[in-house]
Amino acid sequence: MSDGDAVDPSAQLDRLLEDDPADLYENAPMGYLSTLPDGRIVKVNKTFCAWTGRLPEDLLDQRFQDLLSVGGRVFHETHLVPLLRMQGAVREIAIDVQRLDGSLLPCLLNAVELRGPDGRPQLVRATLFEATARRRYERELLAAQRLAEESEARSRTVQKVVFDLAAAGTEEDVATVIVARGRDALKARGAALVLVQGEPAGPVLPALRPIHWEGVSRELLRRLREAAGSRLALELAQGVRSIVLDERLGEDQPGLAVAMAETGLTELVIVPVSADSKRLGVLVLALGDAAPGQLISLVEPGQRRELPATEIDLLYTLGRQAGQALERVRLHEETVRQAERLSFLLDAARLMADSVDVDDMVTRLADLSVARLADICVIDLVTEHGTSRMAARHRDPERQPLLEGLRDQLAAQAPNHPGRRALAEGRTQWVRDVDESGLASMTLDGAQRSAVHRLELSSVVSVPMAIDGRRLGVLTFAADRNRTPFTPADVEVVEQLALQMSQVVDKAQRFELESRTSHTLQESLLPTDPPPIPGLRTAVRYVAATQGVSVGGDFYDVVLLPGGLVGLSVGDVVGHDITAAATMGQLRSVSRAMAADGPTASELIERLQDSWSLLGVQRMATALFGTLDPVSGALRVASAGHLPPLVCANGTASFLPVRPTRMLGAPRADQPAEEWVGELPVGATLLLYTDGLVESRDVDIDAGMDRLLEVAARACSADSDPDALCDRLLAEMAGEHRPDDIALLALTRL
Amino acid sequence: MVFAHGFGCDQTMWRLVAPEFERDHTVVLFDHVGSGRSDLSAYDPEKYGSLEGYAGDIVEICRELELCDVVLVAHSVASMMAVLAFAQAPELFGALVLIGPSPRYVDDGDYVGGFSRTDIAGLLDALDSNHLGWSADMAPVIMGNRDRPELAEELTNSFCRTAPDIARQFARVTFLSDNRADLPGVAVPTLILQCSADAIAPDAVGEYVHRNIPGSELVRLSATGHVPQLSAPEETTAAIRAFLDR
Repeated sequence: MSDGDAVDPSAQLDRLLEDDPADLYENAPMGYLSTLPDGRIVKVNKTFCAWTGRLPEDLLDQRFQDLLSVGGRVFHETHLVPLLRMQGAVREIAIDVQRLDGSLLPCLLNAVELRGPDGRPQLVRATLFEATARRRYERELLAAQRLAEESEARSRTVQKVVFDLAAAGTEEDVATVIVARGRDALKARGAALVLVQGEPAGPVLPALRPIHWEGVSRELLRRLREAAGSRLALELAQGVRSIVLDERLGEDQPGLAVAMAETGLTELVIVPVSADSKRLGVLVLALGDAAPGQLISLVEPGQRRELPATEIDLLYTLGRQAGQALERVRLHEETVRQAERLSFLLDAARLMADSVDVDDMVTRLADLSVARLADICVIDLVTEHGTSRMAARHRDPERQPLLEGLRDQLAAQAPNHPGRRALAEGRTQWVRDVDESGLASMTLDGAQRSAVHRLELSSVVSVPMAIDGRRLGVLTFAADRNRTPFTPADVEVVEQLALQMSQVVDKAQRFELESRTSHTLQESLLPTDPPPIPGLRTAVRYVAATQGVSVGGDFYDVVLLPGGLVGLSVGDVVGHDITAAATMGQLRSVSRAMAADGPTASELIERLQDSWSLLGVQRMATALFGTLDPVSGALRVASAGHLPPLVCANGTASFLPVRPTRMLGAPRADQPAEEWVGELPVGATLLLYTDGLVESRDVDIDAGMDRLLEVAARACSADSDPDALCDRLLAEMAGEHRPDDIALLALTRL
Repeated sequence: MVFAHGFGCDQTMWRLVAPEFERDHTVVLFDHVGSGRSDLSAYDPEKYGSLEGYAGDIVEICRELELCDVVLVAHSVASMMAVLAFAQAPELFGALVLIGPSPRYVDDGDYVGGFSRTDIAGLLDALDSNHLGWSADMAPVIMGNRDRPELAEELTNSFCRTAPDIARQFARVTFLSDNRADLPGVAVPTLILQCSADAIAPDAVGEYVHRNIPGSELVRLSATGHVPQLSAPEETTAAIRAFLDR
């Protein structure tokens, strides 16, 4: 190489630096273009042409924005144009230019707007730098940032859920929170929380109950429940999974597929809700086309977006949080309910203790039950004429008529009616979840079915009442869909109530039977009308007690004896029951038989005392026997522990001083019966009575006797009438409430 | 007259048009919450998760200022806010002017919105890329205009800047809403201004809006693009003026 040929580096540099401006424009290491204000390209350099694989003549007169990606075009219109117009320049705008082959060239764009003297835009000059590496880096940065944001959003969701759940006090609250948050998290069209009632294991299929739902139809939930069916335990164990509306679903679960299609759903995401190892239910998230008011999904219709693992994790977490919250509120609710149950049973016991009779008790118990434990309470009792519906109450008075429509004999119900089954099988029937098929088998016809349908029953418990194998009736409680279904503890309460009621009903039924028998017996034993006796006017009264067994062993008797004498007796067998009534009958017959051969009153008492043990009578009795000569007025009276007779005339009254000796059947004493002998003057009235007249809960016997004297004295006038006396005495002394029977025998000597 | 700006910038978009109406109208300009100089702390993602939230703000502004017989001029996505605002409080509005309206950007069966779902996904990405760059510091790099200091003030406040989170949600709400069903409810005189070669709201969409708003009037502008109030303020003003004069 010679010196002459040697290249002077600085001269070469000068030459390069003095390069042709046109060449610099054309081959600059950046794209240059000039456009009119509307974007039409009027000048473009070779670099840009080379980058985009286009010829200058292809580019000229094209609009710059038409070279951009769709996103770029929108950005151009919404940002670039306004910025240029108002600021005159933009810098470092990220924009993708489409190459001829359709691929994108990531660029950064700077531009200035040239304006005329009037300020109107004339030209836009833009330079574009290739920014592939930078944009890739940015994209990675962006992706990382998005991941971080998504992760932050998930944490925020979890935080919100935890926060909201902490304030939840009921299952319903928990459900509302989890449904709303779950729906937000997946931008789901709808969501529902469906819980298992009872344990998802065991021979009986547990019921599934939707607690709260938004944006999904009841029909869909019903279909989903049917689809879960017998495989429920398995389903719950499967974790987060999807039910996609596709051909297979159409074949396997046509009902569910139709319900999804009808409501525009494409996929159901099932999230297990659990606490520790307990599977409590599922959160159902319904994905599908955008609902009115919702944003359009970016997923193409008919296509499906796989749930990313991060979202599945989030859903799991939501399910667990919901499960724990449910356990907490359930524990709390159960504590509260337990206290309520105890207080209910206590109140029921109190109510039973002070009910007037079975009808009263049943009515009040039904009222108490719907106020405190159930929506519906029905009480059927077995009577001698079959079962009888004693009470049917609904908590809501507006729904009471629906229940009235069902008032019917239990025997006329469908064989599968829980009440009928409980009675027939003698054990509790618990329908945990009333479904369509269950409803169909429980009812007889469409009318009944539709009435029951409108009651919206969710669970029913029927408990038989029985004592010693004797069926007394059935107690039926039902909850409707607005109430938490019955738990085993609720069923136990119903059973306890049934037991308590059985005892009360049994006692009442026996009591009633006995009292009815006693009255019949007593009525058949007492003479209704004493025989007419010349020279005497007689009146008798028998008034049953108003409380207790309402039958006693009181008696009276008037009999004509041989020789013209009249035999009189009044007495009271100890006790208030059939035995007392029977003893009274016996005593009356025997005393009549003994009177036939004319013993004196004291002799009669002695004879009765002697033969008492032979009569086989278990009870003791007080009695007063006497004979009266209606012609002479001669009166002999003897008392076996009975209250003294009363004589009244002309406005005065006094007790005959008959000295009582031992009661009939009392242990033997030395003293024989004593007889009072005297005369009943003409116009005077003799009154024999039992202690019911003078003794009551409020008045002691001495006060009662004083009052008797006073009332009798007022009642006895010159022209005294035994009937008027009896009526007066009963009206003034017996009162409304009589703890004991009253027998009266009054004779007036004419 | 109340002017509601669209997606992208803020009320400055109206500065070449609004003054013309100040002589015979009370002119109200505002920035949507999340845009321009609005109070960003008032942004509630729940409320602004749908256009209803924005529409509610327009109604609130009118009530607060005790406006009546309002001519609501709305650009781009604000057009659907205007339709919803009318549904919320029909008594407030006397007329609507919708510039480049679109009730749904995503194609749907026979309906042509102009964009596929993929397009929109790409658009959301593109917006994100720019916000990344912008979240640095953009204002100082924009060339200032020394003759007009008020412009410099504007620049530092960068009227097209929005917090990236808000911009992203606004973009989603804008491009993923479907308000076709709301159009027939508009029962006031309505002017639709349709630009030529509008990449965002194509002519067919303008036609669709016109067909579905009973008694509406469609005026095609010779202005190209999507922002006639900036690119052709005189034509835009004249069209609105002509409509108001009737």
